Amino acid sequence: MPLRVKVRNAESGATVEMELEGENTIDDIIEGAAGYWEKDAGAYVLRRGKRLLRGQQTVAEAGILNNDELELIPDPEGG
Amino acid sequence: MSAIIKAGAIDGDRFDRSRRIKWIDMEKIESARCFVAGAGALGNEVIKNLVLSGVRSITLVDMDFIVRSNLNRCVLFREEDTLKKTMKADVIAKRAKELNPGIDITPVNSRIEEIDSSCLKNHDVVFGCLDNIGARMHLNAYAYFYGVPYIDGGTDGTTGKIQVVLPPDTPCLQCTTNKTHARILEKRFSCTGQDISIYEPKIPAEITTTSIIAAIQVREGLKILSGKKEYCIRHVCYYNGFLNTFDSFEVSLDPMCPVHLSKFSKSVHPYSHS
Repeated sequence: MPLRVKVRNAESGATVEMELEGENTIDDIIEGAAGYWEKDAGAYVLRRGKRLLRGQQTVAEAGILNNDELELIPDPEGG
Repeated sequence: MSAIIKAGAIDGDRFDRSRRIKWIDMEKIESARCFVAGAGALGNEVIKNLVLSGVRSITLVDMDFIVRSNLNRCVLFREEDTLKKTMKADVIAKRAKELNPGIDITPVNSRIEEIDSSCLKNHDVVFGCLDNIGARMHLNAYAYFYGVPYIDGGTDGTTGKIQVVLPPDTPCLQCTTNKTHARILEKRFSCTGQDISIYEPKIPAEITTTSIIAAIQVREGLKILSGKKEYCIRHVCYYNGFLNTFDSFEVSLDPMCPVHLSKFSKSVHPYSHS
């Protein structure tokens, strides 16, 4: 059964609801959210609470639950 | 025999006020060897902070020369440097010695990927002040391999990030990467051999964010040098300069991370992203 989570855009505060299957990966969530908000090509990370989630982890492995709130954060690369 | 003190000596000691901070170990800081990769905005600030904090031995690597658009955020560069197209590392080395003539700073004009990475093992802390993910992954991999703490900084406009890697205890930069990082890495290196066609987006940058991120990088370095690793950021800290918020997040070690695998087998390319 699919899960529904809320993804927050750390830059704008906007949110979007996303439906997930257990085998979806964190990469899928990041790409889906970045695409939805038409983000510039750049690096992004996803957090759940006080943890950053690894890209290759599945939703099940990351312990994501129904109604969780995740946040998409730009990963600054300038020096 | 009792000690002899000299009246007025307090104000003759360059680091007297630093010594008054109890957790700072000036003896260790003054004998430390630091490696700084990148002599751009973060590199300027990190070097300034290291020198003023008492670090005396620094290796600085950068491949670039100074241009006028660097001058909004690089405290050690001057207008005249842009006219002569002077190498960034050379200028920083010269100006850092003006801050403290007693330091030993070695500028290396090279891409970080082209230096003999084994030199990292001769340093106590590595500071990443780089502007691209490929160079960061390279430095992260070799610092981890040689067991040297690595403090990475990054900025984009008014946002910034600091990640502290303490091998072998913490995850590394590679553990935090995902497909979005890999995509940029591929773009940057998609036209190998032709410097002119390397993808280099112009990232927004200004001094206030730069100085905050660099200050925290050096603060974390001072903790490591002073034997206070347990007080370092765990593991990555994001700064939102518009809202003035800091958030620290934990990262779990990726069991398939090629950097950790390469710790045991040099045959694994340390920053490949499969």
